[in-house]
Amino acid sequence: MRGEREVAGLRCGQVLEQLSEYLEGELAPEVRGRIEAHVRACDHCARFGGVFSAAVGALRVVLRGSGEQADAHARLDDLLGRLER
Amino acid sequence: MSAEGARAELRSDGLPAVTPSDAQLLERTARGDKSAFGEFVERHRGAVFRFARWCTADAADAEDVLQQTFVSAWRAAGDVRAEHGARPWLLSIARRAAAKARQRHDERRSRESSIEELGEAAGFGDERFTPERIAQATEQRTCIEAALTRLAADEREILVLRDVEGLDGAATAELLGISLAAQKSRLHRARLRWAAELRTCLDQEAQHAR
Ligand SMILES: [Zn+2]
Repeated sequence: MRGEREVAGLRCGQVLEQLSEYLEGELAPEVRGRIEAHVRACDHCARFGGVFSAAVGALRVVLRGSGEQADAHARLDDLLGRLER
Repeated sequence: MSAEGARAELRSDGLPAVTPSDAQLLERTARGDKSAFGEFVERHRGAVFRFARWCTADAADAEDVLQQTFVSAWRAAGDVRAEHGARPWLLSIARRAAAKARQRHDERRSRESSIEELGEAAGFGDERFTPERIAQATEQRTCIEAALTRLAADEREILVLRDVEGLDGAATAELLGISLAAQKSRLHRARLRWAAELRTCLDQEAQHAR
């Protein structure tokens, strides 16, 4: 990987591999601590970590507003109104 | 989320009004109570439609999936166990309907790439791909949504379950019928792949703007 290095006993690729688990808070404290030590000393990982977390946040914000489509919901109401037990 | 069991709220006269749980609404639905079913539909329709829309990536298919899901829910209301909310059950019905709908279209397959390749495509080492660029993209929405439509179905599916519907890892693994470890890996790869598509879309926009 471009600019790959080893800091705090981890290569950038190993940090990259665990980024989602890091964001979800799913890592054991010692693994978390090593990743944080790497990122403090590695500007590539610091920058990419910021971008990745912003991207995941953006996905959440934009898509959560995408369940509205009035005509589809109106047609669902019509259909459900006709259901019989 | 209001789907998680019964909650007590105060009414204007000070007496507690209880919001019925999904399980209670389904029990009443099974006895033919249409207003209970109406409340149930209202609670979940947004999530089901969102999931259907991004799983099928086709507006007409998404509407079919929405309708099939709630018609199935009406029919199966008496058979479901929903102590922890009915959302995962509904999404699994929607998922099967979406898979059928997708068989009618050409489907993109997810390609195998190493994490390193995915990371570089997603902008590792690229100083121009910044949180500020992503904030701009969030306002316009176009690239955020377009990037999702370029993913394979199993990638879109897991992103919507985890990042949009907010299911946790265990619930998602169960719904998809995969192990927790496989679920973690699929989520991470899907996020990287999506970030790579987002980056491509933003680059193309920047070139057009020149
Ligand atoms: Zn690094």
